[in-house]
Amino acid sequence: MMTEADYYAFFDDYLNDRLDAPVRENLERRLAADPVLAERLADYQRVTGTLHAYGQRLRVSEKLRAIQAEIDAEQETTVETGRPDMPVLRISRTEQWLREFWHGHRATMGVAASVAVLAVFATLLGLQWWSTLEQPARVQQLRLEVAQLKNAQKKSQRVMNQVINQIGATPPPVQGKFSGTGFALTSDGYLVTSYHVIRGADSVLIEGRDKQRFRAEPVFSDAAHDLTILRITDRRFKGFGRLPYTVKRRQADLGEKIYTVGYPREDQVYNDGSLSARSGFEGDTGFYQISIPVNPGNSGGPVLDDKGNLIGVISGRQMDVQSAAFATKSSYLARLVDSLSAAPNPHTYNLPKQNQLTGQTRPQQVRKLQDFVFVVKVFE
Amino acid sequence: MGKGQPSYTDEELLAGIRHGDDRALAHMYRQYLPTVIHLVTQNSGTEDEAKDIYQEGVMVFYEKVREGTLELSCQIKTYLYAVCRRLWLKRLAEKGRYGGRLDDHEPYLETGAEADLADAEERDRQFALMSEALGRLGEPCRSLLEGFYLLDKSMQQLTAEHGYTNADNAKNQKYKCLVRLKKLFFTQYKEEPLP
Repeated sequence: MMTEADYYAFFDDYLNDRLDAPVRENLERRLAADPVLAERLADYQRVTGTLHAYGQRLRVSEKLRAIQAEIDAEQETTVETGRPDMPVLRISRTEQWLREFWHGHRATMGVAASVAVLAVFATLLGLQWWSTLEQPARVQQLRLEVAQLKNAQKKSQRVMNQVINQIGATPPPVQGKFSGTGFALTSDGYLVTSYHVIRGADSVLIEGRDKQRFRAEPVFSDAAHDLTILRITDRRFKGFGRLPYTVKRRQADLGEKIYTVGYPREDQVYNDGSLSARSGFEGDTGFYQISIPVNPGNSGGPVLDDKGNLIGVISGRQMDVQSAAFATKSSYLARLVDSLSAAPNPHTYNLPKQNQLTGQTRPQQVRKLQDFVFVVKVFE
Repeated sequence: MGKGQPSYTDEELLAGIRHGDDRALAHMYRQYLPTVIHLVTQNSGTEDEAKDIYQEGVMVFYEKVREGTLELSCQIKTYLYAVCRRLWLKRLAEKGRYGGRLDDHEPYLETGAEADLADAEERDRQFALMSEALGRLGEPCRSLLEGFYLLDKSMQQLTAEHGYTNADNAKNQKYKCLVRLKKLFFTQYKEEPLP
């Protein structure tokens, strides 16, 4: 019985042509007849073939390395001795590594650097853009920058000059830097307006419907509720007379019909609407939301209800919402007056007690009201 | 180059390599090395990487020539360039830095290099399996077979080295080792089917 190893010896002899002719012919016949034996021969050939090829691969690989080493050696000698007049560039291992790294990665690093630079600038510009976009966009405070009126004024001045030529000299109208609206709080010369109207003011002028002007000064300001109390300091001032409206101390109801009179332009302007919400911008409970169309210059104007009660003071409007204006609640005004009266060195604020507007029609109410609403002109 | 060495034509080089003439191999190696170094260093590789790639490429060429299966339809230079280009692309892909394009300065299409490389890959796989099978074989079989097949030693030399009483003993031992190697080789071969 032949073992597999015996067969391999046999195959070896057969493939190297060391068998006698009869034995070889016998084997070839058996190979043709016996597929198992043929398979065994094929396996033997695969294994020895692969081994031979593997051996060759290793030897040739060694040869190629030797050739390469020889070439490298030649190049080194030409570099060092071939040109004696040329200085040999010697670089440290680190520098060589750096050079190779730079050579291999410069494109990537360039792209990375430009992306970083772009990102930085995009962020800076984006932030700036965002902040300029965001800040003024929400609530606009409604004091009027008088320059806006310049064009209109020039026109009227031209007309006025013609008139002046006819009727004689009248002083040209005084222009402040900003203007808003104010209204009488007591009959002895105290007024209310919005804090932001007189913010940063050097001097304040009050001008009524009859074009009479009085100097005034802020007595007290409440920036949180956007309220300021002014006092007229002019000697010529003799008092407002009886005020027709009263200050409501309780909260007004939703849906109440309300109106305002103010100076968004040179003349008094009436506007009405209703009370939309009992909180202001971003839920601020110091304010009402009202649906009166208001414009720069309306700030500080009185908001009255149907019965002629003062319920608020116009403060601002929200830019990104349709017709949402805000007014400080009159209850805060009343509380402010109370706290001032209680303060040391007090002055008695005689708030009007009797309402003369109740039960009257709107035009009648407005007619009585209009003498107590003033332009507040501010000089910086 | 030059250095008084004779310049060969492509046919002479092929004939020389087919007959195992080391001088022809060395000559060819020197002649086309710069092209490949240029290719690799222009495409984010170092000179050492270029030499590795070139040796691999020459090996593909050499083995095809020795097998007698090379069907050369272009110059040797073009063929080697195409092979090395393909190898370098593969290496770049492995490094994850392949930008999708190489700066070419030689033609590389229609050279049959792709098919030859596929053959070479299969051969590499077999060699790897064989190397592993040899590793698992254990002594003295391993050094006996390596000595005979890989290091080209004669049976007399191996008989002396391994202390066999005569060459026949050594030969019998060799065949037994071959049987064991065959089993190891083929079990792995079957465990790892072709991809």
